[in-house]
Amino acid sequence: MSTLIASVGFGLVTASILALAAVGFTLQFGISNLLNLAYGDTMTAAAFAAYLANRAGADLWLMLLIGGAFGAVVSLALNRFVYTPFRRRKTSLFGMVIVSLSVAVIVQNLLLAGFGPSFFTYQIGQSRTLRAGSLALTVNQLLIIALAVAAMLALHLLLTRTRLGKAMRATSTNPSLALGCGINTTRVVGMAWLLSGFLCGVAGVVLVANTTAFQSTTGNDFLVLVVAAAMLGGVGKPYGAMLGALVLGLVTEIAAGIIAPGLKEGFAFALLVLVLLVRPQGLFGDATSRAVAA
Amino acid sequence: MSAAAVFYLTTLLVYVGVDILAVWSLNLQWGIAGIPNLAWILFQSAGAYTAAVLTLGPSSGNGGFQSYIIGARLPFPLPVLAGGLVAGALAALVGLVVLRRLRGDYQAVVLLVITVTATLLVENFPRFLNGPAGLALIPQPLSSRFASSIGYAWFYVALTAAVCAAVYFLVVRRITGSPLGRALRATRDCDFAAAALGKNIVGLRLFVFVVGGVIAGISGALLVEFITAWSPGGWMYVESLVVFTAIIVGGTGNDFGVMAGALLVPVLFNEITRYIPTFGSPYLVDALQWVVIGGLALLFMWFRPRGLFPERRRTMALGGPGTTVAGPGQAGVEAGRPGASQGSGAGTSTAVGGAGSGL
Repeated sequence: MSTLIASVGFGLVTASILALAAVGFTLQFGISNLLNLAYGDTMTAAAFAAYLANRAGADLWLMLLIGGAFGAVVSLALNRFVYTPFRRRKTSLFGMVIVSLSVAVIVQNLLLAGFGPSFFTYQIGQSRTLRAGSLALTVNQLLIIALAVAAMLALHLLLTRTRLGKAMRATSTNPSLALGCGINTTRVVGMAWLLSGFLCGVAGVVLVANTTAFQSTTGNDFLVLVVAAAMLGGVGKPYGAMLGALVLGLVTEIAAGIIAPGLKEGFAFALLVLVLLVRPQGLFGDATSRAVAA
Repeated sequence: MSAAAVFYLTTLLVYVGVDILAVWSLNLQWGIAGIPNLAWILFQSAGAYTAAVLTLGPSSGNGGFQSYIIGARLPFPLPVLAGGLVAGALAALVGLVVLRRLRGDYQAVVLLVITVTATLLVENFPRFLNGPAGLALIPQPLSSRFASSIGYAWFYVALTAAVCAAVYFLVVRRITGSPLGRALRATRDCDFAAAALGKNIVGLRLFVFVVGGVIAGISGALLVEFITAWSPGGWMYVESLVVFTAIIVGGTGNDFGVMAGALLVPVLFNEITRYIPTFGSPYLVDALQWVVIGGLALLFMWFRPRGLFPERRRTMALGGPGTTVAGPGQAGVEAGRPGASQGSGAGTSTAVGGAGSGL
């Protein structure tokens, strides 16, 4: 029982990191109809940017900001200079997957060439461990959970209460109609990539802050879980990605804690296959996303 | 030629044969039928592992330093055939999950997730296939019958060539040059039109997915029996990108074009890096090689998306018996662009998915 409770604690932390990453991933898909496989490596790149800042003396907050900003700029540049031109050439959906996979391989190996195959660690100090029964989490882990909850709330408010958020939803649902209604879709798409890139960068930094050691492949290893969370919720659905992240985070950590640590990703994956078999549009998929996933 | 040069040459030739089998296999799945099989390497390594555990004998052999399942010592052609069969069965299983109702890029990403997970499972369960260390000391088949290792190497080159020829004439050509190939290209270029004409899209895709899987398995089995070792590091998902790049460079959908791609991308690139003097750290050349592979895929997708040797555009004269619809440039069954495999938007695949799952 105590293992279970402890696993739930870790599950919430993993779910928080996953939610930050999966929501960004799903936003990119929703707005640009693209499964960006370079997402995980952008996370790593942002984590390295934060690492350099950390070596120059930055604390966790500043690192989050720098990582987020770096992720935002890289994602915006990727969309502007690689993905959009390819899409203008009418590259097929799968062609775009190959394009993003190539970008992923290039980014990852540039990082490898630059930083080498060794592991890196942030110097952020050991934070205090807070205990409540068998639930034990560090202050930093609680911080990650709070950060994720705050980010999700902010995103919710952005999407429902602001003109920009509404324009994003409109563009995501029907780009040509949105353009016809006077929405500057190019700008909205750019903003969406900035936003998702920021989430991506922050996710990269908290992923590393939580797992302590990272290398050039860390983000890409995490990408499988991110994709699974996004698909579980129905790709393109921010709320679906949040739910998918919560489910996957809890399932993987509980499976790791109770059954076998090696089965972590295996369980996540089995869950994904099950959902895709029964409900290919994902948990949150409605009539429109059924069309997408059909 | 010195013995070392001959050994180098023969090894290279075996790799050429295996890479050609690889591009044919993926070209059937992707080039002809439009299935974005990002898990391709999984099927090659399923064949390799199967052949390995069926050749190695009980895992207590060699001092029991590696642990793996089954552990039999079957006579020569059986492990390779079993490798093909297991890979084909795995393809059928994966295909049933992935090919039924998912949109093209979804399929690609789910296949990617599958291959990454498979690597993790093999690495995390050392008793299954010896984990990250992989399998080694696999006995070369029939090698006891050859007096010299060079003679054996030439024998294996001939064997690989024979397998390539058999696969080409018995399988690849019979599919690409037949009504079956036409139907597959139709599902690739305009799947709802093919469905409207009564083609069973899911059945066709599943069929070619399994056939491609069998060829991939045989290629892996042939390779592992020759190089005598196989480990998860050699079948990371990015290895599939190499085969994709070979096909894109050579000419998607063109049997001979992709052969040229196999010679240019995996073979030539591996050989060139051998002659680059090592500079910087030992991993640097390796990392830059991957950067170049990724860049090559991007460059070709941008400047020459149909490859060096584009697929022949098959056209049909209007007015012949039963040809009221098809014509080049229209939503013709045979006239589409090879790159535009999955339609161009969500709307298109809606209709397809609906038709496909209803069949």
